[in-house]
This record gives sequence, C-alpha cells and structure tokens, in this order.
Amino acid sequence: MYNIRLQDFEGPLDLLLFFIQRDEIDIFDIPIAKITDEYLEYVRQMDEVDLDGVADFIYMAALLIHVKVRMLLPKPEVDEEGEIIDPRQDLVERLLAYMRYKEAAEGLDVLHKKRGSLFTRGKASAPEIERDVVDTIVNTTVFQLVSALGRILAEASDAPTLAVEEVEYKVADQRAFVAEALSRKEKVVFGELVHDAPKRFVIATFLAVLEMAQQGLVWLALTPEADDFYVRHLSDPLQNGDLRLN
Amino acid sequence: MITEDDLPESDDRLRELARAIEALVFAADEPVEARQIASVVSEVSQGPPPTEEAIREAVDFINAACEQQERPLRIRQWAGGFRMTTTEDVAAYLKVYFRSDRRQKLTRSLMETLAILCYKQPATKPEIDYVRGVDSDYALRRLLDMGLIAVLERSDAVGRPLLYGTTPRFLEEFGLSGLDQLPNLREIEELLSDPSFSQARASLLMMQGIQQQEPPEPRDSQEES
Repeated sequence: MYNIRLQDFEGPLDLLLFFIQRDEIDIFDIPIAKITDEYLEYVRQMDEVDLDGVADFIYMAALLIHVKVRMLLPKPEVDEEGEIIDPRQDLVERLLAYMRYKEAAEGLDVLHKKRGSLFTRGKASAPEIERDVVDTIVNTTVFQLVSALGRILAEASDAPTLAVEEVEYKVADQRAFVAEALSRKEKVVFGELVHDAPKRFVIATFLAVLEMAQQGLVWLALTPEADDFYVRHLSDPLQNGDLRLN
Repeated sequence: MITEDDLPESDDRLRELARAIEALVFAADEPVEARQIASVVSEVSQGPPPTEEAIREAVDFINAACEQQERPLRIRQWAGGFRMTTTEDVAAYLKVYFRSDRRQKLTRSLMETLAILCYKQPATKPEIDYVRGVDSDYALRRLLDMGLIAVLERSDAVGRPLLYGTTPRFLEEFGLSGLDQLPNLREIEELLSDPSFSQARASLLMMQGIQQQEPPEPRDSQEES
C-alpha cells in the first residue's frame, strides 16, 4: 500500500476513484466492504486537514457504511416492479458522473493552456453589462444600511405627534407592521414606510426589517442615490401574516 | 445572387471588406463583434451592411493570407467577437516579454467546478456540490471574483437558490466562440473502454440502470490520466 496524501484528492469521490483505478476494480461490482475499510483507513489520517474537508470525507464514509449494511440484508431490496435493487447503484452513478466531469476539467485545462499561448492586444474582454437595481442587493453592506438609517433618523421628529402616553414599540409588532405594508405593495421605500414617525418607531422598524432580511423574508436594496433603501417582499410566508413565530 | 459577371467586383468587395476588418480588429483593444463591423462598413460605404457570412469569409481570407506569408497573426472569434491574436509558434517570445503579468493558473477544484458548470448550466451550488462530493463555496466565489462565472438568476426551487452560469469572459479565456464549441462530454462507455477501465466494459452490458444527462456523440479520444 503506498502512502497517499488526502490533500491530493479533490474530494471523497476522487479518492474512491483512485482506489478503483489503482486496484483495477470493476466499477459495477465494487467490493464495498473492502473499499469501505480502505477508505476509513485513509480518512483516519485526516487529522491535520481542515474541518470542512473532513466533513465531506466523513459524509462519504457514512454513505459507504450505509451501502455496506444494505448489502448485508438477508433479503435483497426490490423496487415496485420486483427488480432487485443493488444498494451500490447510486454510488456507482455518482462515481461515473464524477468521472465524466473530472475528465472534462482536464479537457478545459488543455483549452486554457492553449489559449494561454495566444496573445492579444489589450487584456480584459468586454466589460460585463452593468447589473440592474435588484442586483445591487449584493453590494448593500450593513454600514450603508445604517448610514441610510442615520439620515432618516435625522429627519424623524422627536416631538410626540400626539399628546398621549409614550408608546413602547416592539420589534415583533414592527415586523407585523412591515409585513402588512408589504402585503399591500411588493416593494416599499423604508423612508416612506416610517415617514413622520417618531424615532423609536423608526428604530424598532429598522431592527424588524433587518431581522426579516436575515430570515430571508425580505430583500434589502439601496436606492440608486444610496440615501435610503427598498424593502422588498420575498416569499409567500409574508402573506400568511404568520410572522410572530420567531 | 453572384453571377460570373459579378465575380471580379465581388472579389474587390471581399478585399475591401477584409482590409476594413483587419484594420478594425488590429486597432481595437477588445473583441469586435460582427454587427459592429457591419454597421461601420455600411456607414462608410453608404451601402447595405455586409452579412455575417461575408464577414466570416473575409476573416478566412485574411487568415489565409497571413498563413501564406507566414505572419504570426490570426483573427479569431471568441465569445462572439473577433480578435487579432498571435500564433502558438511564437508564444515563447511573448511569454518572455509578458513575463510579469502571468495568467492565473486555475487549480483543480476551480477547473472541476467550472467544468460542471459549463456543461450543466444554469446550475445551483447544491447541484455542483453533489457531483463533486465536496462543498464548492470557495471555488464558486473565486470563479465569481475572476469573472468567469456569474449569477444568472434565482431558481424557483425551495429556498430560491442562485443559479450560476459561465460568462463571455469564460469563453474568451478558454478561446471559444460559443458554448457549443466545448468538447462533448465523453460517454461513460468510452471512458470505461480506456485501459484503466477495460474490465468494466463487459459488466456495463449487464447493467442498464445508468442514466446519462448529456446527449451523446463522443468527442475525440483524449488520454485518460
């Protein structure tokens, strides 16, 4: 058995393919028990590799053991038509699909190298077309959102609009408020949403919007002038009004 | 349309078009699209714009002339645009001259991710992860940074995952005029008939369950590592 380094493999499928090719195993009749043991042996050496990488390898180990267990069942599994199911079939299909793309990657590498020996004037290709407003979502940082909030707060009146007892605004209530606004209109400008409202109201609403964005219920996108932002309704849960779950 | 009487004139027209294209493509710093050439030529000549076919014919004419004179330049069509490039046989000189700005080499994980994406696009991250058996988060981010892939849209599937695809930049970086120029994925039978998998061939006949996603047509055999 030669010593191999796991880092040399792109992933668990790559490692399995290595075993199969090295031992000239028939890919349609993989000796699962043997290969599982071998695989586990190598995964045990993975201590030093990063955790993310290990997780993928361990997942495959679990899959292999699962297949191995199914192979041991006294009565073979059958599908609706009574055909015997080979527990290894899914794995084989994945290995074959991976093989094809692995080879395609090598083909791309050849193209890339070939292209690298052709030189042109100028470097970059034509610039990508500017994305539309919706895509600026990606560029909205928390900092920008907070600056937009700062501007709106500066305009918000601190004086009570009515001479009544001070009301506490709860984030949960404001979530419902935002959800209700979005059920009427798909996209609202935050500044308009809290127009003329007291500061505490604006802050609670802002927190509610952030919370909803984090949960993937709304999209946030800066306005083109970047001094305010849109809150856009994202998915159906909003319309159910069932937002107080949290 | 072309009669024998027209021939000398149409020959002249081809030459003139070829001169125009050669000048445009030489002077441009970026790929020149066929429709740009057509509109420029039509504006200058006050006549109808040349067809894309005529433009391609003129490009072939230029390339043939370059080849005949052993000049190290060719006009190639990448990502739909025409560019003037040097030939492969003089690459050694240019590589020395441009030593400082080496092209980035793509790692295997980037190549794998790109390979899956260019054949399966538009594809979501989970789809790519499944084929590779590993998390492709980093690879996708790198490819996005390099401008080789882009988010095309959101899928309608649960969670509305992002759909990724390749960019025109990818085509240009890999010297392709379009995605249809990608070599076909090799068929499983063919892969298995490689020496390393010769044994498995017989078993293939016994097992019919393997499904394939891409249409057939084997590509030119390439060495399997």
